[in-house]
Amino acid sequence: MAVVETIEHKATDRTPAVVFDFAAGQYRLSGESYPEDAANFYGPLTQGLRQAIEDRASDEVEFTVEMIYFNSSTAKALMNMFQILEEGAESGLKVRINWCYHDDDETMEEFGEDFSEDFEHADYRMCPLT
Amino acid sequence: MTDAAEARTESSALIAEEVLGFQRNMTRRGIIFSFTGYISEGILKALGDALRQKIRLESTDTKTVNRVFSVFVEQVQNVIRYSAERIEHDAEPPVELSSGMITVGSENGRFFVICGNVIGRKDADTLAVRLRELAGMDSDELRRFYKEKLREPPDEGSKGGSIGLIEIARRASEPIQFDFQHLSDAQSYFVLKAYI
Repeated sequence: MAVVETIEHKATDRTPAVVFDFAAGQYRLSGESYPEDAANFYGPLTQGLRQAIEDRASDEVEFTVEMIYFNSSTAKALMNMFQILEEGAESGLKVRINWCYHDDDETMEEFGEDFSEDFEHADYRMCPLT
Repeated sequence: MTDAAEARTESSALIAEEVLGFQRNMTRRGIIFSFTGYISEGILKALGDALRQKIRLESTDTKTVNRVFSVFVEQVQNVIRYSAERIEHDAEPPVELSSGMITVGSENGRFFVICGNVIGRKDADTLAVRLRELAGMDSDELRRFYKEKLREPPDEGSKGGSIGLIEIARRASEPIQFDFQHLSDAQSYFVLKAYI
């Protein structure tokens, strides 16, 4: 069972900072996201996450999202990852999702609420930041 | 002065008059910028940066800045992905250029984003149905519809564009306007205008 190596990307003007530490179960996306090609950017991250969840690469998973802005193709990519996380939680893995947003950012707050509806087994928390 | 120099001076004066007239006409219509021609992701980025800086100066409201920016990104990415006038080349990095028009402006204190591009006639029919459907929805319905679409696998050949249109409708302050101009049996010119 191969453990997928940690994926780390520095933030760019149009892609978020990424830390996907599969072995530690620590995942983080932060910044802005409107990539030229969302499938190309999020594809390897989604695949790595799916593999790590299937392989039980870690005992617990903490997935933190702290976005300022993302476009609709990024929303689709987030949804795909959230579905993998919820399935993992349903099959018994301890999963926690932190949705962080600036407390006066209604758009990100709304997105956070809407995504929360799909979680039943994972521990999904809204984390307003001041 | 030689005849040639005289002719040059005269034609330069005409060009300046014409260009200034064109620019003033755009300014009168509240246009912040307008771009016509081949659009790439690089142009989206550059225009997007300029747009953010400009509207931050005009509006202290972060919410408005974010909304205008979001509508702009979705509209321009729609042109890049769906314009029927395009050049694709498998170079490294790949070349993807799509022809169209993008205009951003403000009118009576509200911003607007207009995009125009050529599309296939069949796509025009599908698009008209989708846009009419969105125009009939209020903000709660749009919010729910967006979420519903996120859960679904993408439509055949849509490249995620249907969610982009819902995003535009959600950020707009009134139903988005759209129109088609018949070009030929195979093609139409499509225009989308959103007020924020």
